Amino acid sequence: MIQVEKLTKKYGQHIATKNLNFTVNKGEVLGFLGPNGAGKSTTMNIITGYISATEGTVMIDGYDVLEKPEEVKKRIGYLPEFPPLYTEMTVKEYLDFVSDIKKVSKAQKNKDMEKIMDLIKIADVRKRLIKNLSKGYKQRVGFAQALIGNPPVLVLDEPTIGLDPKQIIEIRNLIKDLGKEHTIILSSHILPEVSAVCERVIIINKGEIVASGTPDSLSKHLNNSSRLSLRVAGPEESVIKVLNNIPGVKLAEYNGIKEMDTVDVLVEGDKDVDIRKPLFFALSRAQYPILQMKSMDLTLEEIFLQLTTKEREVS
Amino acid sequence: MLAIMKREFKAYFSSPTGFVFMGFFLLLTGFFFVMSNVLHASPDYNAVLGSITFIFLIVVPVLTMRLISEESKQKTDQLLLTSPLSLTKMVLGKYFAAVSVFLITLLVTALYPVMLSFFGSVAVWEILGGYIGFFLLGSSFIAVGLFVSSLTDNQVIAAIVTFVSLLFMWLIDWIQQGIPVDRVSGIVFTVLLAIGAAFFVYFATRTIIVSIAVFAVGSGVVTGMYFLNPIVFDGIIVRVLDWFSLLARYRDFAMGVLSISPIVYYVTFCAIFVFLTIRVIEKRRWS
Repeated sequence: MIQVEKLTKKYGQHIATKNLNFTVNKGEVLGFLGPNGAGKSTTMNIITGYISATEGTVMIDGYDVLEKPEEVKKRIGYLPEFPPLYTEMTVKEYLDFVSDIKKVSKAQKNKDMEKIMDLIKIADVRKRLIKNLSKGYKQRVGFAQALIGNPPVLVLDEPTIGLDPKQIIEIRNLIKDLGKEHTIILSSHILPEVSAVCERVIIINKGEIVASGTPDSLSKHLNNSSRLSLRVAGPEESVIKVLNNIPGVKLAEYNGIKEMDTVDVLVEGDKDVDIRKPLFFALSRAQYPILQMKSMDLTLEEIFLQLTTKEREVS
Repeated sequence: MLAIMKREFKAYFSSPTGFVFMGFFLLLTGFFFVMSNVLHASPDYNAVLGSITFIFLIVVPVLTMRLISEESKQKTDQLLLTSPLSLTKMVLGKYFAAVSVFLITLLVTALYPVMLSFFGSVAVWEILGGYIGFFLLGSSFIAVGLFVSSLTDNQVIAAIVTFVSLLFMWLIDWIQQGIPVDRVSGIVFTVLLAIGAAFFVYFATRTIIVSIAVFAVGSGVVTGMYFLNPIVFDGIIVRVLDWFSLLARYRDFAMGVLSISPIVYYVTFCAIFVFLTIRVIEKRRWS
């Protein structure tokens, strides 16, 4: 559905995106992850035809964004970083106007309008001026605008920004629902959001793709050992000695004392070896009870940090 | 296009701009009408239209300053430029919205000559010609304002630059009188034009080779003309300035002369500035 090839955008000397390649299949929800200024918005602006790329092509449904802009724009609903709202209009007036410029027929408009307003939960503010709405409502009106005309592709730039936690969950569920029929690209720097909603994630940093895959595979890929965090009641040195003698344990590290007469230890095991049971028996034999055991699998957050900071060290 | 025009038109009257424009314009037209027609019992209505051209310079920026600059400031241009609407239609919609506010205001002032006609004979055709001329003049002013508004996202700057540009065009007739018409200054002027064009190309494309080429071609043409037909350079500055003299064309209308060439001139003038506006917006997407 969406094919991006060798996408490069330069602002004078500054390179915003460098040679991006990716495709999004029909009905897929793709997450675009990266720190601020990584080039997420730039890429989205290019895909939607708001700005032009310096090099490279974007194809939507087989149409090139540069050659057939109107065909492409007809197929995309776009929620930019700042929702493009005319604040002196009421919500209803605004959505009517968007329907008009998106060339939605009158019959279709009447049918869709109520549905969209119910879906986004803005029906109760339809007669209010947009400038008097709260940030969360403004964001939702912006979202509603993207859905008008029922475009097969949705490009959402940080769709849950400014919403309260309850609304965030609602919008996430909505995106999941929409993902059944639509192809969606969504950007975010909130990681749980991406892992909750997206089937595939692309991590981008300084204009380049640094990793891509499903949230699970990304986490596995970077995890080349299993790590556990332990709190054991016992003296520091002997606990570490016991742990280091267990087969399968690569490294046991002292990790501070947070409770009286206990010690916190970080244990790293060999890849694909479950060291939890041998650990338990070894420590119980030594009479050092385990008070706490936590798996330290890399979260998306850590992957993200690892990838983006590694990048920084190289450059 | 109609959707843009409708929205833009409504926006004028959901903010003070439309009212400020209409109010100020009508107030001053009324003032001049009372002063020159009512108090002097004179039927010469075109004198009023002539007097308010200057007032019009001041109020046009009010009408045009926010047209494009506000869109880029509020980021609403993202909606328009990613909708299946073409850029030309978007700009034309905005332009026609401003022109229609102006036209409606102008139609309100048409009450004055109607009032005059109750008390004596008025030169109907002269006044009609004056109105057509004033409408074309105003539309050209608005086209300039639209163009300036696309250059900046700051409305105040757009208003001031529009005013200064229009003032310059208004003053051209006076400026022309003090300008040298000899051959040497003509040559210097054309060379300066070539340098200006080269700089413009450099800032637009950032390639030195193309800019040098533009300058070379420009100065080549100047040199060629100097040897082939040096008479061209006599009074060339005045003639170039004349292209921008909107007011000179207006005088014909005010005398009731309705000829085709000034109409074509005004329409072309508007078309060029609307086209330039489209190019500026298009170019911003590439840089």
